[in-house]
Amino acid sequence: MNEPSTLPSSDLGHLAQESVLTKTEQVNRDGSVKISIILPTNAYFMSGVRDFTKTIVMNMTGFSEQWAYRFQSVVDELTNNAIEFGSAPGQYITVTFLSQRGKSIEVFVEDTGTGVSHKTAAEMTAMISERRQADPAKMMGIRGRGLAQIVSHWTDRLEFKDNPMGGLIVHVVKNLETGETV
Amino acid sequence: MAQVQITFQETTASGLPAQVIGFTGQLDETNVDEEAKKIYAAIDGMKEPRLVFDFSGLDYMNSKSIGYLTDWYSRVMSKNGKMVIASPKPNILDILKVVGITQIISVCASLEEAKGELGKTAVK
Repeated sequence: MNEPSTLPSSDLGHLAQESVLTKTEQVNRDGSVKISIILPTNAYFMSGVRDFTKTIVMNMTGFSEQWAYRFQSVVDELTNNAIEFGSAPGQYITVTFLSQRGKSIEVFVEDTGTGVSHKTAAEMTAMISERRQADPAKMMGIRGRGLAQIVSHWTDRLEFKDNPMGGLIVHVVKNLETGETV
Repeated sequence: MAQVQITFQETTASGLPAQVIGFTGQLDETNVDEEAKKIYAAIDGMKEPRLVFDFSGLDYMNSKSIGYLTDWYSRVMSKNGKMVIASPKPNILDILKVVGITQIISVCASLEEAKGELGKTAVK
């Protein structure tokens, strides 16, 4: 049975705009903490999400500061893709953090599938597989580095799932290894 | 919305005209497209661009801003110029390494070192 957490508001970073953002948190029996944020399809909130990500990683996982910054980039890239391609303006995306102190952090980013350039899980998996094979030093285009390079290198697992309700769920996992701790 | 301040300072590198482009703040999806125009204008305004990108004040850059960085580099090189990055913060250097930028653009620990690198005649 899940118990609601009582995280102090200072731990929630800059996300204080209750009128447009919804956040929930819960502490599970195994000590893992789950925090979900629902935000409008608008990149305006991205700097706040980055700050929030860094706060979570530094204070709730045991990962080092370097990994807190890395996860800022990971979450920023995933969230930006959902905003740009996955959910239409006026819709929303959901970012969920699942952390187990000393063990791992997982992030789920869900869109509504209403974006103009929405792709299926199979299409995304194929695209990433192809881009991973490219030599990063020879990539000279402006786009294409977020998932294939930043997210892929800084996570242990990157997977895409089609949401039965519509849209895409992107799931990443990073396990805490020796040398990556505070 | 992310905030960034970009400054342009004329200088010299081994007696040749150069520019130091300083970044303070964050580059992300909310501002990078608009801010990138300033850099393109600076590159287009120089016959043989010699540029130091001073990242000492840059706190965050997303993948698109890195993409612009490579495009600026291509433009500079196409004009027989040179481009060096100076003083990136650890988290910025980390990003530059993971996307392979450090394999194509020189990254120096200080502004003076970067100016010295600009003044070298050898092509990297």
